[in-house]
Amino acid sequence: MAKKKKEGSFWIWVTASIIFRLILIYFPSNLNLSSRPEVSTPLTSLRRLAEGYWLKQSSVSPYAGSMYHGSPLLLAVLGPLTIKSIEGQPNNLLYSLVFVIADFINALLIRAIGQKLQITYSRSLKSLDLDTVSKSSAFMLVAAALPSRDIAALIYLWNPFTIVACVGLSTSPIENLAILLSIYGACSRIVPLAAFGWVMATHLSLYPVILIVPVILLLGYGTDTPPRKLLLQRRGGKLEDNPSNDSDFHQGQAMKEPELAIVFSWRPVNLFLLWIIIWSLYVLVLCGIYVKQYGGLNEMFKSTYGFILTMQDLSPNIGVLWYFFAEVFDFFRNFFLIVFHLNIIFMIFPLAIRLNHRPCFLAFVYITISSMLKSYPSVGDSALSLGLLGLFVNELAEMQFSFFIFCVYVGVSLLSPVMHNLWIWRGTGNANFYYATAMAYACLQIILVVESVSAMLNHDRKLRKLSSAKLQNVKS
Amino acid sequence: MAVLPFRRVFVFFFILCFSLFYASVALGSGIDDEEFSEELLLRPLPDRKVLSHFQFRSRAPPNSSNGRHHHLFPKAISQLVQKFRLKEMELSFTQGRWNYDLWGGFDPISSNNAKPPGVELWAVFDVPQHHVDSSWKNLTHALSGLFCASINFLESSTTYSAPDWGFRPASGRLRYGTLPREAVCTENLTPWLKLLPCRDKAGVAALMDRPSIYKGFYHSQRLHLTSTEFDSDDVDSGIVLEQTLTVVLQTNGKKAVLTSQETKLQPSWSLTTMFGRKINGRCVLAKSSNVYLQLDRGLVAVLNNLQKENEISAPGNLAYEASRSNHGFELSVKPDRVLEEAESQGKNPSVLYEFAVGKYSNSESFDLGLTWKLPVVWSCQQAPLSASRFLMGSGNERGAIAISWKSSQLSQQLLHPDVIEENCKLQVNVFQVVPWYIKVYYHTLQVFVDERLEAVSDIVEKIRVSPSEDKVSPGVMEMILKFPCGMKSAAITLEFDKGFLHIDEYPPDANQGFDIPSALISYPNFHASIQFVEDKSLDKSPILAKFQEKSSVRSYTEVLLVPLTTPDFSMPYNVITITCTVFALYFGSLLNVLRRRVGEEERLLKSKAAKKTGQLPQLLLKLSAKLRGRSLETPQSSSTSSSFVSSKLILKVILVAGLAVAWQFYFAS
Amino acid sequence: MHCKMCTLFDSMAVLMLFLVLGSSNFGNCMASSSLLSSSESTMHTNNWAVLVCTSRFWFNYRHMANTLSLYRTVKRLGIPDERIILMLADDMACNARNKYPAQVFNNENHKLNLYGDNVEVDYRGYEVTVENFLRVLTGRHETAVPRSKRLLSDEGSHILLYMTGHGGDEFLKFQDSEELQSHDLADAVKQMKEKHRFKELLIMVDTCQASTLFSQLQSPGVLAIGSSMKGENSYSHHLDSDVGVSVVDRFTFYTLAFFERLNMYDNASLSSLFNSYDPSMLMSTAHYRTDLYQRRLDEVPVTNFFGSVMETIHTDSAYRALPRRSSAGVEVKMPSEQSAHNNEREMLIDSNIANQSSGFKTEDQKGVLTRLWDTFGDRIEKIEDVDSFVSYGLFMMPPILLLFSWLSW
Repeated sequence: MAKKKKEGSFWIWVTASIIFRLILIYFPSNLNLSSRPEVSTPLTSLRRLAEGYWLKQSSVSPYAGSMYHGSPLLLAVLGPLTIKSIEGQPNNLLYSLVFVIADFINALLIRAIGQKLQITYSRSLKSLDLDTVSKSSAFMLVAAALPSRDIAALIYLWNPFTIVACVGLSTSPIENLAILLSIYGACSRIVPLAAFGWVMATHLSLYPVILIVPVILLLGYGTDTPPRKLLLQRRGGKLEDNPSNDSDFHQGQAMKEPELAIVFSWRPVNLFLLWIIIWSLYVLVLCGIYVKQYGGLNEMFKSTYGFILTMQDLSPNIGVLWYFFAEVFDFFRNFFLIVFHLNIIFMIFPLAIRLNHRPCFLAFVYITISSMLKSYPSVGDSALSLGLLGLFVNELAEMQFSFFIFCVYVGVSLLSPVMHNLWIWRGTGNANFYYATAMAYACLQIILVVESVSAMLNHDRKLRKLSSAKLQNVKS
Repeated sequence: MAVLPFRRVFVFFFILCFSLFYASVALGSGIDDEEFSEELLLRPLPDRKVLSHFQFRSRAPPNSSNGRHHHLFPKAISQLVQKFRLKEMELSFTQGRWNYDLWGGFDPISSNNAKPPGVELWAVFDVPQHHVDSSWKNLTHALSGLFCASINFLESSTTYSAPDWGFRPASGRLRYGTLPREAVCTENLTPWLKLLPCRDKAGVAALMDRPSIYKGFYHSQRLHLTSTEFDSDDVDSGIVLEQTLTVVLQTNGKKAVLTSQETKLQPSWSLTTMFGRKINGRCVLAKSSNVYLQLDRGLVAVLNNLQKENEISAPGNLAYEASRSNHGFELSVKPDRVLEEAESQGKNPSVLYEFAVGKYSNSESFDLGLTWKLPVVWSCQQAPLSASRFLMGSGNERGAIAISWKSSQLSQQLLHPDVIEENCKLQVNVFQVVPWYIKVYYHTLQVFVDERLEAVSDIVEKIRVSPSEDKVSPGVMEMILKFPCGMKSAAITLEFDKGFLHIDEYPPDANQGFDIPSALISYPNFHASIQFVEDKSLDKSPILAKFQEKSSVRSYTEVLLVPLTTPDFSMPYNVITITCTVFALYFGSLLNVLRRRVGEEERLLKSKAAKKTGQLPQLLLKLSAKLRGRSLETPQSSSTSSSFVSSKLILKVILVAGLAVAWQFYFAS
Repeated sequence: MHCKMCTLFDSMAVLMLFLVLGSSNFGNCMASSSLLSSSESTMHTNNWAVLVCTSRFWFNYRHMANTLSLYRTVKRLGIPDERIILMLADDMACNARNKYPAQVFNNENHKLNLYGDNVEVDYRGYEVTVENFLRVLTGRHETAVPRSKRLLSDEGSHILLYMTGHGGDEFLKFQDSEELQSHDLADAVKQMKEKHRFKELLIMVDTCQASTLFSQLQSPGVLAIGSSMKGENSYSHHLDSDVGVSVVDRFTFYTLAFFERLNMYDNASLSSLFNSYDPSMLMSTAHYRTDLYQRRLDEVPVTNFFGSVMETIHTDSAYRALPRRSSAGVEVKMPSEQSAHNNEREMLIDSNIANQSSGFKTEDQKGVLTRLWDTFGDRIEKIEDVDSFVSYGLFMMPPILLLFSWLSW
């Protein structure tokens, strides 16, 4: 009964958020978010996409003139919508609808992922006989109100960043959709879907390429569990300490064992790699056909990935790199480009080793890191990472500084537009002020990542303690 | 006896031969030789100013005739043509803006010699397509050396463009570049004058007194050369170099105090009051050296009306009248010829007085003066549409460029018959170059006609866009617009984002803003040409030939000044350090979190152990251990651990030392 | 810039190699040796002047006036225009604020228009940068740069280098945006010395703390004078209320006052010039550095730098030095060219080999793929309506996706 009510309230909130978006869409002009630097980066801005489409229609390469840097497929899908418009409606209605739908699907995907997580989570707790303890202990109190999946979905839908990114006509909802598709597919072992999502995400914006690690882990080990060592020793303990009188329990274990995948299963991974090849060939062929008379794929890669990696556009955004590369001396430029991009890659393997039993959380960490260090970050990226953060409400219940982080989020998202306005529009401010807010934002995300990772590790530690305590209780 | 006459005869014969020979040489040279002509055109302007237009034309026969030697033709120019295989080139230095409304926009001078401010250079090469850019670069360097200007800034590919059909109708290997902010001063005029056979020492050029020229409201110094060296098909006229200097001068009133009567009167002027100099004879090397005084149609109309009122004579023999003393004004020098415009549209033909400078000399020098007797008010003939360009929007993030047209009275009177039938169209060509840091969204092109938004496809007949590439090439837009004839006003708008540059790319005075070069608006259906009554001697005078050739009416719009946002130029070190600090923070703290496990586990275990066993049992344990004669584990372990630690430390030290040695070995050597 | 430098160093190294080769064969060891140790032996061939005004904006009128008055002086004393490199950072003469267009005055009594009828400005406006200045000194230009913008001096030239602007401790501001450090200047002069670009060099600086700018110089044959010591300011002389700004600096003003008394044929010595500076009038102490200069100042006439007066040496045979040097040049070039040719040949040969081998290797295994790809390409070429095809492809995507997802559920 209560569950029904929760469901109902969830759906109400979802519809409310969608209606809110639609209302906002009807005033595109008097809040023109589409040209805010926080919302639309050179990669995700829809004006540039429209320009690229216009150039293509007038039989010039869409990449001629460094305006458009997105994918040709996006051009093929959204381009026609930028021209068509239903009379009587604001002419941005059609493609805004696309983004609203994308947001809706994203929320549902997050919810589904949350469901999978919760199932395995409770199951693993049960296998550790910790469910009673956990119920009593601190980290279920949030879940009492709403299941974490609904929380995550609602966080994603009602996050002002998400709303702004959706209404502000940036293509980041679609990129997020691709990323979530791959994670969902990996969670529910739908290999083609995972491969498709990963390929599309990598094609749209280069950085999700690092998600291949968590996806493979997901496919290999299944969704997040407590550390496997724990399960092993737990099971070992059971086997040793249980005399043979209660055999039904053995049966129970036996039928539970295969589901908690302790061993790495290679088959889905190989399938996944196969599907990656298939999908990427598919996408590349489509792109190649689309741009064949405009210099072919080389041109495309040069002006999409090349543009991302060489940081050519120095217009301000919420990242820190634009000001850095506007000021740095030219002969250091390449060096720092390499350093900053290696910074993302360096962190992949330590995290993967340490968190290999929690692939979803690993994916969340990767997404947050890339949304912090990417060349042209926008609020759409951090919207996704915050939404995913909601999935781990229970595990991260004891995260430190969470209130501080929240306050700084609010402060930065209020200050940064003000500073931008002072600098660009009023001319009274200075670039340094805006840069300072970008700095604060970067530090904020750093703290978020570090704290969440440490909280997750602490959680595992706690589980270990509890289980060991139980073991000893059982022993004694 | 017979020797003497014979010798006489011989000598006579000899002389005869010589004379004949010289005559033949003279004739031969007369047929095809370098020629030079200097001319000055004066024209009173409605706003109490005087337009003076110097034109020097020198022609070199094709090199086939006489090697590389030149008598009159400047060697530097011919070398340019040879080296870069120039088909056609025009270089203009301009200061000030031509006022199309007051000074006229429909005559050959305004459409040929009104140039955008700063430097404008375009050249057509006769080299294979892939060599054009390199030879353009070399050409800019050579010209910058020749004319003491920083034309070599046009070398970088961000400053020049390759228009297809927008700039000139048939332009093959053409490159076009402008420097709107280039300063124009004496050092540019001097080398330009050095190209003339008698510099500024004699002839018309002697008038060029620098201060009085640069005091003018507008001066445009132009150098245009066409060479038919390389294309063999048409008649081979060699290299033709045409240098023009167009100056609009205030007739500086010696009588500063003007009575109310004189204020209505146009100011009287003479060469001395304008230039402070006189013309002392012609340049002896010049084939023709004339001074013309032109009265344009509006003025002639006014004068005719005056005469009609005073019933002096019919406007038919206005010329005859004017030659002595016209009713409206008086000339200090009697013109040698009076030319009248062949009947064109408008019933008042413009009049041209010709003065030959040849017969003057230092003793009695030529000082043309014009004194007005009656106040006259007239207006020059204007272009069919008067175009102007401006910026819209505020702030330093984005904006919009708008070009607006207003129909002048001329278009009414010209197109009056056509307005009746509906499909009458007024064609306008627009050629606009935009630097790369102005990122124009061409899909936001909007066309307004009479303040109503029209569909782009209805008005824009043809458009070619080559969008700007960041730090590589400027954006070029060429379009053909067809407006309905009856329209009063039209406008096109384009939105743009302002780019952000690297601090090294900003000029020293970045806060002054950046220039968008002026756009070229041309009206291909209207031809600014003045046909003068047919006369056998006309072909000799290049300026009249220039007047007669049919060239479409063109006008340049304003240069736009765009303020760009500037970063803090003093920040690089701070930015680098701060950003790197943030990255280090991220990296270090995350790594620290990840590797925290071991130590913490140990601590946990230790604390647990400590909690589990109180102090006293510990002591008892020790004691018992002592009694048993077995040493305790803990100190042992600690000692081992310490030794282990120390060994680790030593290892580290050795490693660092080794690294240092290696470093020394590699980088010191 | 860097790579240019490297290439330049390479070329210099190659040149040295040439010299060594040349000296190896007997005929011209003398020539080459003389070429190497040419600082004292060579006679004074020509005079050059590099006059730099480094400061922008109207209120720095006086700096341009300084430079132009020096320009006028050296021209009057016989240095031709093509041997003067004049750098003016801004356009004052035709500036909109200038009440006297096309004229520049360095004195209240507008007797003398410095911006006469033929002034040749070689670098002006944004061209006056530290980079261009150093390029002029060291003679490293792009090939396209015309002769009029180059300092084509040789090992017999006397060069006058005059700089004015806003300076400080060991730097000189260019265009109010970048600085010329004293080390840069010293390096440039050193390079000039090594490349035999001058015999004697007089550096004259009129800035605040001018003497610090040439504190790093080491090359012999350099004489330097600055308007003020370290910690001192150089002040402007007087203000012209018609022009609206101060029109000349004190140091330059008194320098001119000294030179106006001279003509080409006077032989006033440098010491007399240096002694003519009166600290009380300058309101700063003119500091000159002579430790790098061999000759005694009181026997060096000022026309040695500020004019172009050659002492004529009568030689019985014209151009004695030349044929040797030319022959040396010829002989020197020979081996290098041959070696170059050999290298090229070898490179060509092994490149050919490589091509053939690679060709052989690649032929077989590449054949299939290439053929497949070609056929595929031809297929693509046949597609006429690209957009529709791509959209079909995109619409195909979801069904395929759903199908396989369902299969692998």
